[in-house]
Amino acid sequence: MSTPNEPQNPYGSGEPQQPQDPSGSPQYPSAPPPYPQGPSAPTPYPGAPQYPGAAGTPQYPAAAPYGSAPGGYGQPGGGYGVAYPKNSLAVWSLVLGIVSFVIGCGLFTGIPAVIVGNNAKKAVARGEANNGGMATAGIILGWIAIVLSVLTAILFAVLFSNADFRDMMNESYDTNY
Amino acid sequence: MATVDDGPQDLPTGPLPSDAPASDGAGRRASLTAPLVTGGVVALATVLLAVRDPHVAGSYGGCPSFLLLGVWCPACGGLRATHDLAQGDLAGAWSMNPLWVLAVPLVIALWVRWLARARAGRSLGSPPAWVAWVFGGVVVAFGILRNVPALAPWLAP
Repeated sequence: MSTPNEPQNPYGSGEPQQPQDPSGSPQYPSAPPPYPQGPSAPTPYPGAPQYPGAAGTPQYPAAAPYGSAPGGYGQPGGGYGVAYPKNSLAVWSLVLGIVSFVIGCGLFTGIPAVIVGNNAKKAVARGEANNGGMATAGIILGWIAIVLSVLTAILFAVLFSNADFRDMMNESYDTNY
Repeated sequence: MATVDDGPQDLPTGPLPSDAPASDGAGRRASLTAPLVTGGVVALATVLLAVRDPHVAGSYGGCPSFLLLGVWCPACGGLRATHDLAQGDLAGAWSMNPLWVLAVPLVIALWVRWLARARAGRSLGSPPAWVAWVFGGVVVAFGILRNVPALAPWLAP
């Protein structure tokens, strides 16, 4: 624990993406248990981020998944926006998922909701975001919208093969202008 | 009224999935593929809409929101507006879906930005969270307002 930078260097070059996830469980860092003694036993833990002194190490946003990190490990609490640079992804996923249910044809926001949500999940795994739950919500909403849209499309394909239904549709259009 | 296969509606959100990492040299070509394919698909859909008139009832199916609930969803009129725009009829497009008409230049700009950044080997990045909330809020508000009888003449398709 000599200088703040020292423990970081071994990981800065080697494995910048998942610096503190040796266990291979990316999603939900239930890892905090190893850390409580962190400050007193610094080097054995790859999770070097408890050294807030090295503030200029953006490749370690991973420090953030530990919700209690600001208090427990001396992380400056104000750095949320910096600590989770990819949190906006999950927000986009959720908003797109919600919009899928506002518009009649949810397929076209549902698909992006799922894609962006999956990217958000990856960002959470990398420690660049901490709102995995929001991403999950977006992904689920997106999938529901996709399935509903496909079912609706099939339904319409069947209905519109019926001439009477087409006539009814024409009338309903005309009366609504 | 938007229809089931409301092709162009995916335009505003199309560029967003590009947030995937596009860094290394091998992925560079792939990163260019995504915007080009997206642009091609949208261009084809626009040509189809220009040729096959969505003003004809049921030509592209129907909007489930309108058929089932009797309300105009925020995307209703999107196909017809796209058709009118492709034909150069700005006023017609505006009367179908003003929000979509306003969104189209933004969508094209986003796509160009996506393409440019993909060429440079960078990912699009994701717009900040507040933009997402504003986007959602505007869409929902538009959907509500266009169903207000007093405003329907201007906002409804």
